[in-house]
Amino acid sequence: MNQKELLKGNIAIAKAAINCGCKCYFGYPITPQTEIGEYLSNEMEKRNLAYVCAESEIAAINMCIGASSSGAKTMTSSSSCAVSLMQEAISYACSDELPIVIVNVMRAGPGQGYIYPSQGDYDQSTIGGGNGDYRIICLSPSTVQECIDMTYKAFYLAQKYKNPTILLLDGLLGQMAEPAIINDNPYEEIDNSSWVLKGAKNRPSRQINSLEPNQTKLNSHIFKMFEKYKQLEENEQDYEDFMCDDADIIICAFGSLARCAKDLCSYYRQKGIKMGLFRPKTLYPFPNKKLEELSLRAKLFIDIEMNMGQMLRDVRLTISHNAKISFIGKPVGDWLKKEELIDAIDKILKENYATSL
Amino acid sequence: MQQVYSTPKSIKKDSTFTFCAGCDHGLAIKLVAEVLDELNLRENTIAVASSGCSVFLYDFLDVDCIESPHGRACAVATGIKRAHRALNEEKFVFTYQGDGDFASIGLSESLHSALRGENISVICINNTNYGMTGGQMGPTTVLGQHTTTSPNGRNVKYHGYPIKTAEQIALCDGTCFSARVALCDIKNIINAKEQIKKCFEYQKQNLGFSFVEILSSCPTNWKLSPSDSHKKIKEELSEIYPLKVFKDIKEND
Repeated sequence: MNQKELLKGNIAIAKAAINCGCKCYFGYPITPQTEIGEYLSNEMEKRNLAYVCAESEIAAINMCIGASSSGAKTMTSSSSCAVSLMQEAISYACSDELPIVIVNVMRAGPGQGYIYPSQGDYDQSTIGGGNGDYRIICLSPSTVQECIDMTYKAFYLAQKYKNPTILLLDGLLGQMAEPAIINDNPYEEIDNSSWVLKGAKNRPSRQINSLEPNQTKLNSHIFKMFEKYKQLEENEQDYEDFMCDDADIIICAFGSLARCAKDLCSYYRQKGIKMGLFRPKTLYPFPNKKLEELSLRAKLFIDIEMNMGQMLRDVRLTISHNAKISFIGKPVGDWLKKEELIDAIDKILKENYATSL
Repeated sequence: MQQVYSTPKSIKKDSTFTFCAGCDHGLAIKLVAEVLDELNLRENTIAVASSGCSVFLYDFLDVDCIESPHGRACAVATGIKRAHRALNEEKFVFTYQGDGDFASIGLSESLHSALRGENISVICINNTNYGMTGGQMGPTTVLGQHTTTSPNGRNVKYHGYPIKTAEQIALCDGTCFSARVALCDIKNIINAKEQIKKCFEYQKQNLGFSFVEILSSCPTNWKLSPSDSHKKIKEELSEIYPLKVFKDIKEND
């Protein structure tokens, strides 16, 4: 039996990575995710696995490209401004169709910002910060237990769709300890023998490259990538809907902030207002099918984020033709306080339901 | 009839020569292929090609090959070598890079791979300019050399000094072998192949980071004929960039 342990999000991710067969980790220190690399340095050396304290995040993600092309489960972790450094290689890895798990424990602000929790990298993670047409699978845990479960899932989806996958959490979840269980990896192993580079023995030589001087071939390569993304959007949307069935008002929130939003639902229901929470667990593919379905009933959606409104764009694209959407956001700093949120929501409710409040 | 020559097995049979006339890339790749054949490495090799003219390596070499982002070949090679070891497999891993790739944009990855003593090999083509983009000033452009971005000739006061790559790499503790060779005449071609072979053998023996810089011609951008380009290497460039072995861990013992 796997025991419940008191675990920080960062350590939980590192333990889950080892547990599901991660063979290679390359990274560079940056707060608030450094514990992942610290923990793995010892655990991977003990097991004769690959661990390099890379000279930069640029080197780290390129080491991931090499390791992934060899067929080894590969991971790096970093935070916001340093994930920006990796964007060129992420674009290459998407075109090369290489599975790599990238953990981004977000910090606040553009540029250096600071180590406060934030959700400012939603856009970079889902739309992509690199060049060209591509998409990144992006998972958003809300609890330490989900950090574990979604680490397994990140490796699985990366291998299944041959695409880099970002596990996106904020510094709060990375640093916070709560009870969780390192359960077994529930996913099947994906056979990669048809594409990995092991030497051209008893088969023709293989190339992994994104350069393509022939424009017809380049077009068809990108079309093929987007066929894959269509499959992802069709099959892998994941979400939590909390008290949504009879809700008139639905909060949209992801990550650690969604936990606060659950409290709000209970608070407003005690006051007779039917409120629910819609929480995307996959940020890409964004769970628009369920959200659209909810918008046929609920008439007001309040999107709450620790940024200036990034997921808001996806929410609007999905439901603006059916329902009203309001936004509450704060880009930097502590978790939005419950009182602060109640004030903001009361204001929105007054604007929309002046008579009923 | 006695057969005295055949195309190396590690060269693709259907490849068409796409480099400029008189460019040394073709010869450099052939020497690499011959050495891979002679050391029986073809089926166990993963090559890393980088951006610039060197990227076309995989159009000619019949081995597993990955293209790296510009400058990051040594980091990609590090990942490949280490990943296979984590999977209990030993592979032969080398990069094929230009001087701009290895010594300018990728200097950090290159130097740190050498410092760590990463057990990989590097073939670096030094043609003293950015060839693919049409001959701009690179890290190895020599003083006085005219390029499209040093139209009045490189001068120290305005542009600063070029890098002597093989000498710098030889300074790293993790380097087991560092040499500079040229392909300007038969004698030098024979020597170049010997040094490439040594470079590759040292990786097989797990000795650390092994490096060969090949002083190469770029007739198109130098605006010289192929033969005048080789004359320039022999008479001018090899004075500035000496053709020698700068570090050989076995000789030093």
